[in-house]
Amino acid sequence: MTRLSKLPLAVTAILLVVMAGCQKKTESSDRVVISFWHSCVSSTVPALNELIGRYQKEHPGVEIRAQYVPSGDALIQKLITAVQSQSAPDISWIHSDFLQDLVEANAIYRIDELMTGTDSLTRSDLKDIYPPLLLQAELRGTLYSIPMEATAIGLLCNRELFRNAGLDPDRPPTTWDELRAFAKKLTLDRNGDGKADQMGFFVPVFPSSGPLGGWMVWQWYCFLFQAGGNVINSEQTKVLYHEDAGVAALTLWKNMYEELNLNSFTIDYEVAFASRQLAMTLDGPWNIPRWNQIKGLDWMVAPLPAGPAKRATVVGGEYLSLFRQSRHPREAWEFMKWMLRPEIQAMWSMKSGYLPVRHAVRDVAEYRLFLEHNPALKAYVDQLDVGQAPNPVDYESLKITRNIAEAIEKATLGKMDPRTVLDESAAKSNALLNAVIRK
Amino acid sequence: MTSDTRRRKGKREGLSAILFLSPTLLVFMVFVLFPVVFSFYLSFHTWNMFSSQRSFVGLENYERILRTPEFWDVLRNTVIYTLGTIPLNMIVALVLAYLLNKKIVGKKILRTAFFAPVIMSSVAAAVIWRWVYEPNFGLLNYCLSWFGVPAVNWLNDPTAAMFALIMMGVWKTFGVNMVLFSAGLQGIPEHYYEAAEIDGAGRWRKFWHITLPLLSPTTFFILVMSVIGSFQVFDTVYVLTSGGPLGRTKVLVFYLYENAFKFFEMGYASAVAYVLFAIIFGLTLLQVRYLKKSVHYTS
Repeated sequence: MTRLSKLPLAVTAILLVVMAGCQKKTESSDRVVISFWHSCVSSTVPALNELIGRYQKEHPGVEIRAQYVPSGDALIQKLITAVQSQSAPDISWIHSDFLQDLVEANAIYRIDELMTGTDSLTRSDLKDIYPPLLLQAELRGTLYSIPMEATAIGLLCNRELFRNAGLDPDRPPTTWDELRAFAKKLTLDRNGDGKADQMGFFVPVFPSSGPLGGWMVWQWYCFLFQAGGNVINSEQTKVLYHEDAGVAALTLWKNMYEELNLNSFTIDYEVAFASRQLAMTLDGPWNIPRWNQIKGLDWMVAPLPAGPAKRATVVGGEYLSLFRQSRHPREAWEFMKWMLRPEIQAMWSMKSGYLPVRHAVRDVAEYRLFLEHNPALKAYVDQLDVGQAPNPVDYESLKITRNIAEAIEKATLGKMDPRTVLDESAAKSNALLNAVIRK
Repeated sequence: MTSDTRRRKGKREGLSAILFLSPTLLVFMVFVLFPVVFSFYLSFHTWNMFSSQRSFVGLENYERILRTPEFWDVLRNTVIYTLGTIPLNMIVALVLAYLLNKKIVGKKILRTAFFAPVIMSSVAAAVIWRWVYEPNFGLLNYCLSWFGVPAVNWLNDPTAAMFALIMMGVWKTFGVNMVLFSAGLQGIPEHYYEAAEIDGAGRWRKFWHITLPLLSPTTFFILVMSVIGSFQVFDTVYVLTSGGPLGRTKVLVFYLYENAFKFFEMGYASAVAYVLFAIIFGLTLLQVRYLKKSVHYTS
């Protein structure tokens, strides 16, 4: 068929789709459909379906229509387009970096607008949620989303490689110095070609402009917190990540990156860990099902080593927001509230591997029993106690994250001085903040 | 036929032509013409795609481009990519076209094989190349190790990454140029060669004095199109290196994409698009003015 003769066909097809779309809106009104966009990793989708099944059984007449959207750039691009074209979902996963744009466009509800009515979420419910999670759910002190699940970073170790190197896997590294020493001991160059065949520790350095740039910065926050630092002051007037704590954290990364010769190693750390070429790496609970599936892999999750200031890990979450374009805000809010119930949180965590968002879940007897049999999940849940979230960046957060990423890349891969690159990066970020203040 | 009826017939034909063209015209206007005009308008504004207000800022976006050091880095990377890809691309394409113009066995299969990368989805191809370049498990390092070459972290090494990108760029596009060169070669009349042979010209002289000059219209066309194509490279960069390491492979269109769809600065990104247009337009004019003279036509 020629190109021209295909066109009428395409036009007809488009018309049919449009017509079908129009028809859906006039569907019978006895069934409320709540659209829900999420980016749950594929291994957790069966758990999500089970969860939704349970909700629909408890709430006849409501249908939750879950739709997967790839996380990160794709999600925010799709949300923007949807808001513009009046086809926003009722509920969507949100990343705290997106809040500024969504709030400024008045696209989502404030949570306090929704917290009305008798059976609603109470202040004490909110108090039960881990504070670092709520910190990232807010913009300029106002809550715009609620966490659906939590994540924390832990130290993933290959026990077999520990034993081979004469290390006791039940005694993982507890300080930065130990982490460095262990990493060196676990790095082996068997054939002497100057390139490691087994890597002791993976310092997560990725292209700052690539899809993993934000993930690199996120993992770096663990070390920033352990050294007693933070990203920005709470008044939002200047960044703090370049101060002594930031320099200490970046110097550790740089030293390890260089002495392990990581720039000759793959950045596909998951494949490297699975193929036993990597002894230790930072990782999150969403990967537990993946490691469980690999036969013969003797692995464990240890708490992160303590830094010069304290023990800490970075706690994040996936957040739900309710869109103003929703035609059923009451029903949608009902679902969001239901997700926060301790027994639902317990079920969701047990099935998906994500961490619960509130303390009360650990009092659910079934969940306590489950943790005893799942030491990896327990290690992550225990990490929540030392969990911290970066102070939210209310303005230009996407660009400030990029500035941090560039500093990390320059110090490690670019072999530059940590303090110099951090100062440069902070100057750029502060200039952005000053421009906002001037407006 | 009177002039009146002819005119009426012409009008009717014009109408039906428009009717038949209307789907294409509609698609063209909605997806090409409108964005082109709209982004020109946007380049004088700031807009984040979300908000309903677009504030007019005059030439500020263009000024900002000129004083952003990153823009100049990105432009330099694009020039390096262009200078790296085009000569290599044209030489490979010409040599293969020349060889395939001879009577050799399996000519059709070879031609298909060389053309295959062109029709392959560039994202899928880049994913394959990512594994070829993989430092620990990759095919390229494995093959190099046979010759004792130490492993290179192709995509994560600030100097090697651009080279890796250029190699893939050449692999992906030389097929088109090869076909164009083949067509050009077949268009050269046989009698020139016969005459040269009578004069006692050897293979090299024939190539240098007949093939190359008479191929120059094709070469010129390929050069102009390749410069345009190289300045617009995006998809392979996006999948292969995402502009890393240390921003060494960040090219103009990637920079534009980032500003538009990561930082939502549509005004600034539109200005970058128009600067890119100006650069390509200028380069093309230069080529037409200075190279056109050395183009020979057979008749």
